[in-house]
Parts: sequence; structure tokens; C-alpha cells
Amino acid sequence: MNSHQEIQRLLTRRHFFGRMSAGIGGAALASVMNPGLLAGSAAGGPAGALHFPPKVKRVIWLFMSGGPSHIDLFDYKPQLRNHHGEQLPASIRMGQRLTGMTSGQSSFPCVAPMANWRQHGQSGLWMSELLPNMGRVADDLCVIKSMWTEAINHDPAVTFIQTGHQQAGRPALGAWLSYGIGSENQQLPGFVVMISQGSGNKTDQPLSTRYWGSGFLPGEHQGVRFRSQGDPVLFLGNPPGMDPASRRRMLDATGALNSMAADSFGDPEINARIAQYEMAYRMQTSVPELSDLSGESPATLEAYGVRDGATDGGFARNCLLARRMVERGVRFVQLFHRGWDQHGDLPKQIRGQCQDVDRPSAALIEDLKQRGLLEDTLVVWGGEFGRTVYSQGALTQDNHGRDHHGRCYTVLLAGAGVKAGFTFGATDDYCYNIVENPVHVHDLNATLLHLMGLDHTRLTFKFQGRQFRLTDIHGELVRPILA
Amino acid sequence: MAFTGAESPDAMTNRWIRGIVGCFAALHVALTPSSAGAAPASRLEFNRDVRPILAEHCLNCHGFDDKTRKGGLRLDLREDALKGGKSGKASLVPSRPQDSELVHRLTTSDPDDLMPPAKTGKPLTVSQIETLKRWVAEGAEYQPHWAFIPPREPALPTPRQTGWARSPLDLFVLARLESEGLKPRPEADRTTLIRRASLDLTGLPPTPAEIDAFLSDSTDTAYEKVVDRLLASAQYGERMAVDWMDAARYADTHGYHIDSARDMSAWRDGVIRAFNQNQPYDQFTVEQLAGDLLPGATVDQKVASGFNRNHMINYEGGAIAEEYHTAYIVDRINTTATVWLGLTVACAQCHDHKYDPVTTRDYYSLYAIFNGVPENGLDGRHGNAVPTVSLPSPAQDAERLRLNAAVKTAETRLAQILPSVDAAQAEWESAPLPEPADKAKAVPEAIQKLRAVPPPSRTTAQMAEIQKYYREEVSPEMRRLRDELKVARKAKEDAEKAIPTSMVMAEMAQPRDTFVLVRGQYDKKGDKVGRALPAALPGLPDGEQANRLGLARWLVSPGHPLTARVTVNRFWQMYFGNGLVKSAENFGTQGDLPTHPELMDWLAVRFIRSGWDVKAFHKMVLMSATYRQDSRAPKELYAQDPENRLLGRGPRVRLQAEFLRDLALSVSGLLDPRVGGAAVFPYQPAGLWEELMSRQDNDAFTAQKYVASRGADLYRRTMYTFIKRTSPHPSLSNFDAPDRQVCSVRRPRTNTPLQALALMNDPTYVEAARHLGLRALQAAPDDPGRIAWAFRQAVGRRPSAAEIDVLVRLLGDQRRTFDRDPDAARRLLAVGDSASTVANPSEAAAWAVVAAALLNLDETLTKG
Repeated sequence: MNSHQEIQRLLTRRHFFGRMSAGIGGAALASVMNPGLLAGSAAGGPAGALHFPPKVKRVIWLFMSGGPSHIDLFDYKPQLRNHHGEQLPASIRMGQRLTGMTSGQSSFPCVAPMANWRQHGQSGLWMSELLPNMGRVADDLCVIKSMWTEAINHDPAVTFIQTGHQQAGRPALGAWLSYGIGSENQQLPGFVVMISQGSGNKTDQPLSTRYWGSGFLPGEHQGVRFRSQGDPVLFLGNPPGMDPASRRRMLDATGALNSMAADSFGDPEINARIAQYEMAYRMQTSVPELSDLSGESPATLEAYGVRDGATDGGFARNCLLARRMVERGVRFVQLFHRGWDQHGDLPKQIRGQCQDVDRPSAALIEDLKQRGLLEDTLVVWGGEFGRTVYSQGALTQDNHGRDHHGRCYTVLLAGAGVKAGFTFGATDDYCYNIVENPVHVHDLNATLLHLMGLDHTRLTFKFQGRQFRLTDIHGELVRPILA
Repeated sequence: MAFTGAESPDAMTNRWIRGIVGCFAALHVALTPSSAGAAPASRLEFNRDVRPILAEHCLNCHGFDDKTRKGGLRLDLREDALKGGKSGKASLVPSRPQDSELVHRLTTSDPDDLMPPAKTGKPLTVSQIETLKRWVAEGAEYQPHWAFIPPREPALPTPRQTGWARSPLDLFVLARLESEGLKPRPEADRTTLIRRASLDLTGLPPTPAEIDAFLSDSTDTAYEKVVDRLLASAQYGERMAVDWMDAARYADTHGYHIDSARDMSAWRDGVIRAFNQNQPYDQFTVEQLAGDLLPGATVDQKVASGFNRNHMINYEGGAIAEEYHTAYIVDRINTTATVWLGLTVACAQCHDHKYDPVTTRDYYSLYAIFNGVPENGLDGRHGNAVPTVSLPSPAQDAERLRLNAAVKTAETRLAQILPSVDAAQAEWESAPLPEPADKAKAVPEAIQKLRAVPPPSRTTAQMAEIQKYYREEVSPEMRRLRDELKVARKAKEDAEKAIPTSMVMAEMAQPRDTFVLVRGQYDKKGDKVGRALPAALPGLPDGEQANRLGLARWLVSPGHPLTARVTVNRFWQMYFGNGLVKSAENFGTQGDLPTHPELMDWLAVRFIRSGWDVKAFHKMVLMSATYRQDSRAPKELYAQDPENRLLGRGPRVRLQAEFLRDLALSVSGLLDPRVGGAAVFPYQPAGLWEELMSRQDNDAFTAQKYVASRGADLYRRTMYTFIKRTSPHPSLSNFDAPDRQVCSVRRPRTNTPLQALALMNDPTYVEAARHLGLRALQAAPDDPGRIAWAFRQAVGRRPSAAEIDVLVRLLGDQRRTFDRDPDAARRLLAVGDSASTVANPSEAAAWAVVAAALLNLDETLTKG
């Protein structure tokens, strides 16, 4: 086999986006040397074949960073209006821990859900009027009202839902998927992250790259940030003054010299490097093509709300890009929309946040459905925790806030593998405790992996002498929500 | 080099063995390690062949942790396995597999009885079952886990091939190769050798002048001189510090939430110095872990103790202090255990370790050792978190003294003036009040009333009230002196703030109580525990206390089974890409076995006996024939041993993140070689931090907005790049540098298109290519000569004619391109901050492209 043939083989490998020269590389290397191995692995990443046939091929997670108020948006408790201003009963709070931001409060007045609510669709799903467009897709939604987490602060809570552990150091869900399934598209990464700035809370909670990091998995599995300023992917563009023809010539020269080196050294890693440079060159075309919305119809742009001067911090554009990515086979697209941390000024801020996301979220689901993509794509909508029923700070006629609340909150799913027009789990009259069918963040993650064809107890990576998994030693598949 | 024979274990070693053997109740055990050099033994060996199977498939339910043990059966101890579990059937009947319940349960067709249970998803393979059967047939002998037996100097193997070995270590490697039917590769050429050694010991490529000097040195000690020179260079300490910074999770921010800045550069610079001064590793260990507790600890020793303050620190609003204080101590334990013991003890935070002899109680006894630091659970909002040590420069020290005196003077003058102020007050009281120009400034009614009360009739409280009013609101002298004092105090405070600090360890006079935390939860306290080392491991050296200092000295006591092995393994990893134990972070029963167990022990014993002499160790390895092998090998050899675990060729691995950029800076002549100092901010795409940070808090905290350095700081070695944990610099994170959130002692090595994009388009590399091209232009009179010169800069060796041809063609094409579009040439030459005077932009740009091609060669990016 000459170098050229090996490179061609590398170029057509399924698990293309990256490779290790050590560890997993041993297996990957074997597949380079033995094309039969590749042909045999019709699906599956470096971790091996899928555990069962997947219902979901791609996931778009619209991550609402900061913790949207489930009380004001999805978990409708009209009777709370009768308790507005009353102290939260001790029988409800049950001594559960509070964050340091409200644990010192002497008063815990309950706050009724704001705005008006309406029922939607055949399923009769109640939703706040703040989300009129999302109401339109009510019958596509699978609403989990009984999500919960132990974490009560942003950093540990986001780290927890993303990586299965409250402290830093473990891989994110998307990294696990990249490791477990690999990439479907040879010219795009398998795990993409996009960030938008909410118009609600501007002292928004910081994000950390560890939320999409690869932890102890090889770095090639980390989420790749697609950015709205500069190059969409870091260092994608040629430097000023270097045209594509020059780049091609430089690559040809490097490739020729590398091929000579490969023959002289015998190290197959050199061929892998040639292949990665060729892949980089192709990305210089495929990524701009992906990011270019000029081919989208005015109707589509309007449906998402993508327009000049849009004030949604870029969320609409990211939703449309997410659709374009899943169309091209990106496995896991995660949007982080910031600004959902309404400790104070909630009535004003939450309106802004809802305006940011309502239209694009609904448009995304409808667009995917119309294109037939919702049949094997799953959309997740939700954040790291919910908010307290009691007011943070004084409750006045026109202002109040809500603190973090992990004991229950709402997450929406839509698309492949889950029941549509379905609600699961319930909370008490105060939206404070779960009374029916709790779904822990580990359970949600276990279920997402399951839908993608992976058993969360078997998708493991040995590190520090232990088989680690996304769900640690926990997680139950939430069967009742499966279609 | 002296080939020393085995020496009898000293008293310490005996104590270790007693402890270990006691711990495992491993009786009837042959302590002799297997002969790695000989042909594979016909007998199975427990540690090599059997333990991995038991550990992976059985011990989860039949191991050390009695809470999860099933059926009352324990398979990690021979005695227990002979007895069997609740069923009363002997799991192991030595030499009689047919009577052993274990074999029966592995092979039965009854799915209810079959082990491991199907639901564990860990079935045994046919060959694993055969191994266990054979092991029982051979007598079912156990061995203590190899890494818990103190290393003893093994006898040197006697491989067949003579004349190749240069060091005893080569004999072990050669014997192993021969047992696999392989031969070592011949020695690499000198250019390859000096490049390899330079990159390994300094993280920088050799200059052509250094290469030429080596090539023309015909003395026998030419190579040794190179190694000595590199070990003596200031860059050696930098190179060594990089790996230590990974282990110490060193960063320039706190890591949680807002993630603002800290400054541990003094600690980092101390590490560089320690390596450069070749501080013995045992002393280094003691200072890193407990420098503050040494009698008469110097400032440097206190700074060194900051090793265990490098963990992340939180101050997120609303977070619970105790929860994070717990996280810090957990991090210290895990880091310390990983770095010195090569053990993962984190499991024992929640439950007794399933595989290694660490109980939850042990874990919290260690916890108690780290629980005496006078620190806060939430801290770091304004830079370093207490406890810190102040590090004034001499000038700052003098200034501080001066300002202290100024404050004292102002205070004294304020006190001295009081009698005259009181006299003035009496005068003021007796004079009528003038009409105030501003009503708001009128004397308050209450005071006016008091003025009317004759002093002798006033109560003490009334006297105090009117005096306070007069002094604060009326007396002009008081106001003046108070303002002076305020100014003096402010000046003192500002000067204090400007003095750098470093976070250090310290001990509270009265340490906190420590409790077992049930399931590891900070708010679920169980039994109170004292300070102690893991009970299953042997005790402290005589005269040591169970505190950090005792712990540190215990780690480097001569008979310790782990520290030396774990350390030399990390060094080995630095040269060869993998350690002899691949799982550098885990030497426990779940870790990888050493590829060369006897070599591992020989190296460890050697290291201890040398007085933990790190430079001597490097030199020994670099002088060996194993290290000097050519990395060129037939493809079949690469296929057979892709990771070079058998060491049958020279190392060939991609450079780590820092050294890739350092190489580009170095060969382009841009590198600023200053050692140490504050972190710097090289180019970074706009907005990377800002997108993630809190928008309105941007100005309230440090390290929220990225402001690139100017001038020379743009070209410092990459290890000085400011490390923001929540958004690491792409030149680091793209190339597998850890994000420094937790301890890391082994980096993956990936090869991705994002790396290719960075190396082609990151302004750092484009700028480096620009300068390398210009240097080439001036280096020789003709194109092939210039190309050869630049090629040597990047790769070390001279190019072949064919290679020159490829680049000459590229040069010609690019000349034509830029001649047609000189403006494009100018734009390319404008990348980066550094100016360059260019007579012919098209020519310079064409050379920049040629240089870029060179900087992107696999051979450039690789230590070969």
C-alpha cells in the first residue's frame, strides 16, 4: 500500500474528524491498516458499534442558560394566584437548602405566575402567552415538568447537566456522543456549540468551555464553537493576502514533502496528518457554505426572525444554522442562549428572553418537521434548573425576582423517539417539589444516549483506573416518554 | 557507567513489605518479580495474567469494599477465596479447577448461576476463562499488587546481542525485544539526536549553529557535551515546569463562574528555579507539599507550598462556602495521590475503594491532613485568596516602611492635638453661633441644646456627643489632620495592594474537626476522624507526625513503593511518549501493568539511590542506546507496535502545544527568551473571552476582557500565556493542553483539522512564517541555499534535492502570484504586530508562503 492509497483511505474514513496517535489510536490505526474493519463498522465512533438501533440521529439542544422560570412559562398553577404574597409554607419548603442569595431572607412571599396563559393544540398544553409561537407547536412537544438537579448554583448546575458531575473534569454529553457515535459528516465536526446573548439579564451568567469540553476524552471530541464574529470556526480563513490558489499550492508542497517523509520514516501518523490538512482545506469551503444564509428563502428567514438589526442576540440565526448543520449530518448542536437568570426585575427581563427565543424555537421545530428532519432529529429546550416560587428580594406590584430552584423544573423535547403532545411528571401546587415521576438530569442524559443508540451504562471510558460514564453510577431510562 | 548488583533491602523496605503483606494477607506469595527479559514464562503470573481479569470482571462485587460485596465472597484475597462465600463452596481449590466453584460459575450453562451476571455487561472471553482455569490448575497463587511491593534492584538481564547497550537500562529493553523476536534500531544520526534531545530537555529546537558544532565535534564525549549543555540551560527548567504545571493544575484564573484572575507566577518561577538548580526531588516534594511547615521556612519554601493552592477557587454569589471548601480539600487529596502515589483515591470519597486498599475512613483521615488551612470556602473575588505570602521587591519594602511611618506620624499628630482641640471646643461653646450660610449646615438642634447645658451638668454621654460633634464637624485642625491621616493610610493601602502575593499553604493553630462525609456529601457528616495515612499502607517514618510535613516525608522515604516509580514513569513518558506504565496517573490494580517491570524497578531504585537527582536521571536516559535509536523503521514495525511500547525504535511524537508555538517563534527569530514573570497575552481571536463572560460585570472583575500584549510580550514562551480556565487560549486547547481545571499527568495527542487550520492561519504562525522567510532571504545567495537554510531551521536536517525542488516550485509560483498582486503581498506581510522593512514585498511574501509550508511539515511538528 503506498502513501497515497493510505491517505485516500483516511480521507474516506467514517470517524474522520480527528484521531489519536495513542490510546484509541491503536484501534484507529488498525482500521487504517485494515479497511475491512471500517467497512464493518457501519455506525459507531471510537468507542465501538452502537448498542442498539438509534431512533435519533441528531440532537439540537437549545440550552437556556441561567435557569428559565418554569413557574411563569410552562408549569401552570393558577391556584398560586390565591397564595400570591403569602409566605411559602414550611410544609412545602421542608427545610431544603437555599442559595446564599436568599437563605438570609426573613420573608419568602410566593409569587403567582405572571402574564396570561392559554391552552394549545389537541393536547391542551398550558403555556404562558409570553410564548405564543411555541404554543403553536404544542402538539409536537414532550413536556417534562419533573426535571430536577441537586445543584443550586449556575456553575455546578450547568457542569452537572452537561457532564454528569458538578465539579469540573468530565466530558460533556456532546463529547460522549462524538466518542460513542463519531461524525456523520466528514467535513464538519460532530459536536458544535453556538452562543447567543439574551436581552434579559445582562449581568448574565458566565459560560465555560468545559460545558462542551472533552474532559478526559481525547480533545478531538470537544465541542467546536461556531462563532458569529470573525471566522465561524477559529482560524478557518486564510490570512489576508493569501488566496485559495496559494493555499492549495502550499498544501500541495507540504503534502508532497510529508509523503516523502512518510515513506522514509514509516510512521503512519504522517499520512494521518496529510489527511487532516486536506480535511482542513475542505472545511474552508464547507463551513462558509454552511454559514451562508443567502440561499434561504425570505419566508424561512422571516419565520425564524433572522433579519438585520434583530435584537435577540443572535439566537434566531443560530437556530437556522442548527437546522443547516443537522441537514449536513452534525450529530449534536448545542445552542447556549444566555440571560435567563432573573434574580430581580423578572417581569421585564423574562419578556425580553421570551421574545428572543419564542419565534426561532417554534420555527426550528416546524422547519425540521416540514423537511422531514424531525423524524430522526430531537430538539431539547431547557436549562440547568428552574426558579423559586418565592420572591427574591421584595415583592412589589410591578417587580420581583426568583432565585435558583433545582427541586423541579421543566424541559421540553420535540422530535424523534419521544411522544408528541405529551406531558410527563407533575409538581406540587407551589411548583416547588415533584409529586409525580421525577426525572433527574442523569435520567435525561441516559434517555438521550438511549435514543441515539447508546446504553448509558455501557458507553464508558477508562480513566484513572475506573470506567467512567456520563451518568456516573446513576441514571434511569425514562421509558414512558419514549414513542 | 557502573553496573551495580542487587543490594539487600534496608530496614525501611522491610517495614513496607510487612505492611503490604499484612494488608493483602497475601501469604504463600512469591515476591520475585517475573523475568521480563526471558522468554514468556510457561507458568501464568497472577499480576500479569490473572489480576487484570479479576479486577475488571469480578472485584466490583467480590472485592475490598464490604458494602457492595455480593454473596459474602471476596476474591481479592486468597484465603477468602479458598473459603468461598455464603454458599460454603470453596471458590478456589488449588490445582483442581473441576472442584472450584469459581470455574463452575464461569462455565455453567445455568444463566442464573453464570458469572459475571449478564446485567453487568462484562462477560469473560473464552480465553480469559481458560486463563483462570489454568491458573487454578497451576495452584491459584496470588501476588500482592506489584506497585505496592517496594522496588528492589533486579538482576541485570543478559540479552544475546552484545555491543548495543550503553546503559544497564538498555539490557532490559534489549532482552524484552529479543523475547519478542525483535531487534533494536541503530543509533539515529547526529542531527536527529540533537534535535530530539533539545526538544526533550528544553522544548526548543537546536539552532543550525548548535547542530553544526555537534556535527563537527569528533570527540567521544560530543553527545554527552550536548546533553550537559542542555541540562544546564535556563530553558531546561522551563521545559520541566510545563509538565509540573499540568500536574499542579496551575492557571492564572480561579476557574469557577466569573473566573477572574489570580497570580501564582511566583510559584511557577520557583518551580523553574528548582529544576534549574536541580533540587533533589525528595526536597522538592517536601517543599511543594509542606514548605510552609519546614522549621524556619523561607519565603521561597512558603511559596513552593502553594502547589496545593493552585486548585480552582469559587466565589459565585449564593454558593455555599462549606460545599466549596470541601471541593478544595478533595482536589488536594486527589492531586497529591495522583502525582506522588499514582493512585486514584477519589472513589473512597464516597465508598471504600473497590480495587485498591483505601477505605473511606482512610480518605477522610487524609482529608484531615489538608483541612487545617486558614482559608475561606468562598474567596478570590479580588485576586489571590488567603492565606497568601507577600512578595515585595526591595523598593516596595522600603516604600512600605516609609508609608507605615507616615501613617504612624499622622496618627501621633492627631492624638497630640487633642488637648488644644478640647480647649478650642470650650471657646466655641462659649461663643454665640454664627448664622450659617447654608441651612443644611446649621448646627443640629440636639447639639444646640447641649451647648446650652453647662459642662459640669452634662452626663457622660452628653459630653461625648458634643465632643464628637465638635471634633468631626467643627474643628478645622482635626479635619486637616484627619485628611492627612486618610491620605497616608490610602497611600499605604495602595502600596500594599501593589505588592505581589502568592497563595500558600499554612496551618491553623487549632485545626478544624474532620468528619467522614457520607457518600462524599459536604453536609452529611458521619464519624469524626483524626489525621492519619491510609491504614493499609505502612506507617510514617520514625519521628514524623501525621501532618502535611509528615505526609511529604513519608512519600519520599526510601522504601516507599510508589513515589519513585511514579516519578520516573512520568520522566519516561516525557521522552518516549508513553510511560512504562501507560496509565501514568494510576499504578493501582486497575492501572496498566508496566511493559518492562524490572526496568521500572531498576530505574526507581537508581533514582532513589542517586539522591533523587533529576538531572542525573535525564542524563542517564538520554545517554542510553534505547533513547538514541533511529525512529525511522519499516512500516511493519510501526504497524506491529504503533505506540512503541516495546521501545524497538526511537521516539516519534508530535510536539506538545507549548513547544509547537515556541518552535515557530524560535526559528523565526521572534522568541523573547526571558524566563519567568507575569503571564502574557499573545494574539487571540477577538471576543473569545467576552462571548462567555458576564457583560455588565466585565469591568468589575479582572480577566474578563482579553487585551493582547504589546511588543516583546507577544513572543514569550507559550508556557507564560495567561491561562484562563473557562476559556483556555486556542493555541493550547487545540493541541491537547489540559484546561488546568484538575490535575493532569498525561496528555492525549490528537491530530485534527482544527490543528491544521491553526498552524496555517493563526496570525502567530503567519507572522513567524513571514520572519522565517525574510531570514532565509538573507541567509544565502541563491534560492536552493535559502531553502536549505530555512529547512534546517524547521527540521534540523538538510533537505534532499527532491525536497528542494518541491519548494523551489512553490517559491516560483508564489513569486508570480504576488508579482501580479503586490497588494496581496503587502497584506500578507502586515499580519502580526512586528514590523519588517521589506524592499520587495512580492519576494518577501513568496518566501513567507515557503516558510509557512516548512512550518506545517509533519517533521517540523514532530520530535523524531
